[in-house]
Amino acid sequence: MSNTQVGDRLETELAQLRAALRDVQAPPPDEIALRAQFRDAARLRAQSTPVAAGGKVAWRLHFAAAAVVVLAVGAVFAAVLLRVERPEIVPLAVEAPRAASPAVSAFQPLLNSPGLSPSSSYSVVRVRIPLSAFALVPGTEQGGTIEADLLVGEDGLARAIRFDGADALVVSVAGQ
Amino acid sequence: MAHMAHTDSPAADDRAEARLLAEIAAGGEHAFVELYRRRHNDVYRFAFAMAKSRSFAQDVTQEVFLNVLENASRFDSAKGSVRAWLFGCARYVTLDRLRLERRWTDELPDEGAAVGGDERLLADQRVERLHAAIARLPVEYREALVLCELQELSYAETAAVLGCPLGTVRSRLHRGRALLVAMLDEGERAAADSGPRVATPLQAGEVCS
Repeated sequence: MSNTQVGDRLETELAQLRAALRDVQAPPPDEIALRAQFRDAARLRAQSTPVAAGGKVAWRLHFAAAAVVVLAVGAVFAAVLLRVERPEIVPLAVEAPRAASPAVSAFQPLLNSPGLSPSSSYSVVRVRIPLSAFALVPGTEQGGTIEADLLVGEDGLARAIRFDGADALVVSVAGQ
Repeated sequence: MAHMAHTDSPAADDRAEARLLAEIAAGGEHAFVELYRRRHNDVYRFAFAMAKSRSFAQDVTQEVFLNVLENASRFDSAKGSVRAWLFGCARYVTLDRLRLERRWTDELPDEGAAVGGDERLLADQRVERLHAAIARLPVEYREALVLCELQELSYAETAAVLGCPLGTVRSRLHRGRALLVAMLDEGERAAADSGPRVATPLQAGEVCS
């Protein structure tokens, strides 16, 4: 059979199928069911509108809460990192006040700190500081540490510092 | 609202149906019933032609008109007729269901269920076989053939429904026809090989791999 004949035959059969399909009828519409369907859909739409609006509000609240949590976590991280970024200062522990040794200096307010107030409470944190941290002290690059007490406010910021064994530092500097 | 009869003018029908959709969007229950009366057979026939199953066609029709309730306000008469818009809805619903039922090309349609009460209409064996072959075509060729050849949409309308260029519609029709011829030939050869009493439908996947 030639291509033309095949094509013609297909066209004929397609026309027959088209005619047959034209006579295919869907089940007759059930008007009562259709109207019920319409009313159900309208009712659902009416119900879903406030829900959707409520959903938007709830979504915004969730977003705001999540943002607050992220900011809070970020702030905590930043605070921790700021402390960790002083690698030379190794907090030892919060210690009970010890008997002052003769070499202990007085607390010196730190630069740029908010200052001390008699009505606030502070914690004393003992740290060990490598002598190399004191860049101006020559000859400290070989090592050695000095212990110090940090006066830390309730906000976690150091306000003042005193050196334990300050005489050693003086001796070290004097020895250069 | 009074029952609106189809007119002889497709343009007048389009305008009337666009008004019906606008009324449906505004909550018009009568308009919905009226549009259903006018167009449910078109939707049903499209789905039946695509899947060759009456129950499938019935489900698609139901779902399409539920979508109409939801989306009537989205109809844009500048983009085409209501009939074409409904075919677009029917196409999406049909493809979704075909995908869900894994009936793209690899499953033989249930012909017994398909013919049902219209046996006298589709009794001709070759026409029956042609429909079975169409229902097994890859879906992109099938939908183009069904819309153009069986639903008699123009190429431009078909392109709008399928969301593809006119040239793509033409090439899909061409390729679809070629596949159909090959499937029918294979079916005839298989029938001849297995004896005169057998008028077997094609096996799934014979051609459309």
